[in-house]
Amino acid sequence: MSLDPVQVMKGQDPMALSPPPASNGDSKVSWDEKEGFCDSVGPKKPKSGPVRRARKVEGGIFFPKPENAVTIAVSSRVLFRTEKEQKVFEEKGVEEYLKYQVEHENEPFAPGPAFPFIKALESVNTRLRELYPESEELFDIVLVTYNHANVGVRLINTINHHNLFIERFCMTGGSSPIGYLKAWHTNLYLSADAEKVQEALSEGIAAATMFMPEKQIEVSETQLRVAFDGDAVLFSDESERIFKAHGLDKFFEHERENENTLLDHGPLKGFLETLGKLQKKFYAKGHRLDCPIRTYLVTARSAASSGIRALKTLRAWGLETDEALFLAGAPKGPMLEKIRPHIYFDDQMFHVEGAVEMGTIAAHVPYGIAQKYPHKKKSTNSAK
Amino acid sequence: MDPQSDCTLVTAVSCHDIFDLQTGQSDSSPLAKGTAFAFIKAVQSVNERLVKLSEKQTLLFEVILLGKDCEEQAKSKIFDSAKYYDLEIGKFCFCSKEKFERTLQENHVKLFLSSDRDDVHSALKAGVPAALLCQQADQQVQNQLKVLFSGDLIGLTEDSTEYLKDLGFNDVQIHNFKAAKGRIQEFAMLIGEMRRRFGCEDSPLHTILMTVWGSRDICATALKTLRAWGLDVDEAFCLAGAPCTPILTVLQPHILWDDGLHNLKET
Repeated sequence: MSLDPVQVMKGQDPMALSPPPASNGDSKVSWDEKEGFCDSVGPKKPKSGPVRRARKVEGGIFFPKPENAVTIAVSSRVLFRTEKEQKVFEEKGVEEYLKYQVEHENEPFAPGPAFPFIKALESVNTRLRELYPESEELFDIVLVTYNHANVGVRLINTINHHNLFIERFCMTGGSSPIGYLKAWHTNLYLSADAEKVQEALSEGIAAATMFMPEKQIEVSETQLRVAFDGDAVLFSDESERIFKAHGLDKFFEHERENENTLLDHGPLKGFLETLGKLQKKFYAKGHRLDCPIRTYLVTARSAASSGIRALKTLRAWGLETDEALFLAGAPKGPMLEKIRPHIYFDDQMFHVEGAVEMGTIAAHVPYGIAQKYPHKKKSTNSAK
Repeated sequence: MDPQSDCTLVTAVSCHDIFDLQTGQSDSSPLAKGTAFAFIKAVQSVNERLVKLSEKQTLLFEVILLGKDCEEQAKSKIFDSAKYYDLEIGKFCFCSKEKFERTLQENHVKLFLSSDRDDVHSALKAGVPAALLCQQADQQVQNQLKVLFSGDLIGLTEDSTEYLKDLGFNDVQIHNFKAAKGRIQEFAMLIGEMRRRFGCEDSPLHTILMTVWGSRDICATALKTLRAWGLDVDEAFCLAGAPCTPILTVLQPHILWDDGLHNLKET
């Protein structure tokens, strides 16, 4: 069974086998399955067509094919803490920045906001490999950074130091990483740069900007916990628009009238779907109670009223979250502090900042109408 | 050898790549552009920028056109078309197929580029550094000359050949890869020197390191090796076995130096 994430590029055709060439002279074999980029110009030999199998190592597959895996692209600035270096870049320019990086090459970076999330993905992978050693449906982590390749050695040293399992990376030297994100069939992109995140979202790739919590609360090392806001994250921002334009009463009215109409999907719906499919793999092997993946919906909607439409939509999509928390406008911070997710996705900076203040690792999804309303820190919470 | 020519990056390109000699041409019109066209134009802009920096510049590209078994008619068409397109070609070398490798050696070619892998391999066997010339997806001239080096080759050390054996390469092939690493060095050093003349941004020359099979440590070794040779690459990719075509399609390098390492499909 193969994952079917909401991505146009996935699902390439399998290819036939081809043995390694006896000498260096096999000139017309292409790089890849079809007329590849550097494919033969000149006398053509019939191609037998190659098969790509993931590299197999003792204990399961460690390098899944990108189209079969759940690819998480993470930028160096959220995987590690690079504030000092950022400062050098902003104050002294790129040449000084690169010199600084090379000088400090053997000093590993400290963990950044995405670090616990990535570690948790690795533990899920370990459990998946135990249960399904032949499967490529694993998390595949790619470091995507627009850093210059000069920083590469320091990044690799850091990855080695922290014992992370990251073998794939793109250092684009300043060019936009978006093309590469697509080439890697990226399911989720985490970055510190809101512009890049927005670009990714507009290209249909789930993406969010991450922030470092000031205090660090402990998160589970054995269970991956992912929390999602509802509107403009899992769902589209259509209802949010009504609320912003016409106020709370109109919002309630609209939701009641449209209770049985499905909400449109939001940018993180695909990612929840992907997590759900992996969860089912654990359930299939009797691990429902101790499933190493747990998902949460944390919404300002009310359970008795506007929340119903959200639940019906999820159900119609065949999706569910392990827990659904309808806060009816109450602050999200305390609830999130109890949950301790490895990542919490919200479209409103107000909520993200509130969460971060309480030590929750939060990520901003710059999508929808909320981006047009700059948040005011002291505004009252809205009850939905 | 002329000390000046040591600095010149003599690059030989086959006329079959510069022009499209297959499609029928009327007598008066110039030959259609071939695969190498974008490359030559990119090289010319690098030279222009180098000369702008210093008029007495000796570190420049010199492009030689190589014609294998060309008919007399074709030869004059080639001359005319080169003039028509304003191509800066240092030398036109027409030779027979048999004398092909000799011609490369006699002209102290530092890099032979061809889109035909057979030609690349015969040049390599004759000891001439050779790399694959890549078809650009759109024939529009790019602003930058993009050169891609293989991290698997450059990151190769005595102890790191195990993974190549696991992939199915035999000892002879591995030996050839080690030899290939030596050949890349001179070219990489010259490119490195050229690259250093420009800053991080707005460079007409762009260098890329791609490690397809090797681990991140192989990639780190490759980065350090290149740095020791004087080349700081702009971009680096480590694929750990993921398909390279999608990435190459985004990158669109002109020159791809892999020495046949990536001919292998996994079995």
